Amino acid sequence: MKKLFLLLLVVVLIAAPFFLKPYGIYLLTLWVVMTIAAIGLNLTLGYAGQISLAQGAFVGIGAYAAALLTTQGWPLWTAFLLAILLSLAIGWLLGYPALRVQHHYLAFVTLSFATLVYLMLRNEEWLTKGVYGVSNIPRPTLLGWSTKGPVQFYFFCLGVLALVSAATWWLVRSPWGRAFNALRENAMRADSLGVDTRRYTLMAFAFGSAIGGIAGVLYAPMVQFIEPTAFNLNLSLNLLLMVMVGGSGYFLGPFLGAAVSVLLPEWMRFGSEGLYLIFYAIAVMVLMAFCPSGLLGLAERARRKFG
Amino acid sequence: MNAPPRAVLEVRSLAKAFGGIHAVNGVSFDVREGEILGLIGPNGSGKSTLFNCILGQLPPSAGEVRIDGRAITGMRPCQLNRLGVGRTFQLLQVFPQLTVRENLILAGQEHQASMWSRLVGRRDAGLGPAADRMIDFFRLAQLAEEKAAALSYGQQKLLDVAMAFMAGPRLVLLDEPAGGVNPTMLTGLRERLREINAKERATFVVIEHNMEFVMSLCTRVLVLAEGRIIAEGTPEEIRGNPAVIEAYLGG
Repeated sequence: MKKLFLLLLVVVLIAAPFFLKPYGIYLLTLWVVMTIAAIGLNLTLGYAGQISLAQGAFVGIGAYAAALLTTQGWPLWTAFLLAILLSLAIGWLLGYPALRVQHHYLAFVTLSFATLVYLMLRNEEWLTKGVYGVSNIPRPTLLGWSTKGPVQFYFFCLGVLALVSAATWWLVRSPWGRAFNALRENAMRADSLGVDTRRYTLMAFAFGSAIGGIAGVLYAPMVQFIEPTAFNLNLSLNLLLMVMVGGSGYFLGPFLGAAVSVLLPEWMRFGSEGLYLIFYAIAVMVLMAFCPSGLLGLAERARRKFG
Repeated sequence: MNAPPRAVLEVRSLAKAFGGIHAVNGVSFDVREGEILGLIGPNGSGKSTLFNCILGQLPPSAGEVRIDGRAITGMRPCQLNRLGVGRTFQLLQVFPQLTVRENLILAGQEHQASMWSRLVGRRDAGLGPAADRMIDFFRLAQLAEEKAAALSYGQQKLLDVAMAFMAGPRLVLLDEPAGGVNPTMLTGLRERLREINAKERATFVVIEHNMEFVMSLCTRVLVLAEGRIIAEGTPEEIRGNPAVIEAYLGG
């Protein structure tokens, strides 16, 4: 049943761009990119239980790495390399506060970090061009295959999503996934069983952030023009919401959460955006109050009751 | 004549103060290889604090702890665990969202290979058969694939104890293993502990309020009151010790 559903999802994702207008393809690409970023946050928050309000900042770091390198003529893979290394290192460092504080205190620490990154992107004009942003970001050509067109670029992103999903699937099913789980559920007990909770906490931050960086590297050539406000706290909060709404700690949670956050507003554009936001906000509040484990948690509850 | 068994754990003048309260006040004792040492005392006498200081969960204010002659003060719990020291907590501590089998594999996996090889290696870290043996040993076979949250309190308690043994520790500190466990299961738990003690030469320190359980399991008993050791001896000696009766009833 689950396998059939996943197969269907893959078929739909491959067939969809051929039935959509360019704007639809753009939205689908945005969904892919946001899903990748949310997968990273789901690793840190959902599996390892470390709250982060800084995932948007790592998307920003990745996006600027891609924008600045590729506009200077470097190939995109160097941006991937730089973004992954930078996000791993910075994410690792961001994990240190998590060794001292937890929950909402940790949320504040990571929130400050997100703000710091945003201010750096805005103020360090010599590097980031500040509020003017970086424009004319090229899309890559892979082994002679140009991803300039929307459909081609979409498939490129979808391929990266497949790789990230496979790697994350492997990770969460390895002994590491079990240790992350233990860290989330009871760090003290995990420690007493030999789980080096410090090391795993730092790893959870580093890996989750690196995946955020990967999403950023795709984001820059997708929109082809980036400026700092795209990566302010709003993005971090939005990514957090995606993980929570989809189902934190569920493998498919980010896919669903990103769909709700990216695609639903477009379908609900019957009124003004303000009206949609009111509906969305109420729906999220009701969901969080009655089912904190998100939509997939709700589905699991329903299956247990009726299935 | 055989040489006396050497000390696995040595505690020297260990003290822990919270503000002006001396929860543990200069406690010294040895735990010899293969023995089952009971640690009893009225509520608030400092038993759990003593455990937490020995095991690196709380930094002691003064004193020293040695395992196999090696000073371990200041070591983190996970490092101690890898030296072969297991423990359970006073309150039940299993991972509710993991299955029984997963709980046990987790309890042993960090002793296998390096952190990086665990990322690319086998999902069960090669511990599947060992976990199944432990499941059988603790009579949890029907529950192996259940989430720990679905187990009864007594079953979770058995799992909790089983987890402490997964890595084949030399020394295990059990904090109230009998608390809240029904009499039938208690007999089972006592038998399991005795069996491990005899077969693996594992050494235990047991904090317990259930006197019958302590007296029937332990080979030696220490009595703690107000952060100090007030009596030491075999279960029979402790039973008749006036200072102990005073501490429990007179206090």
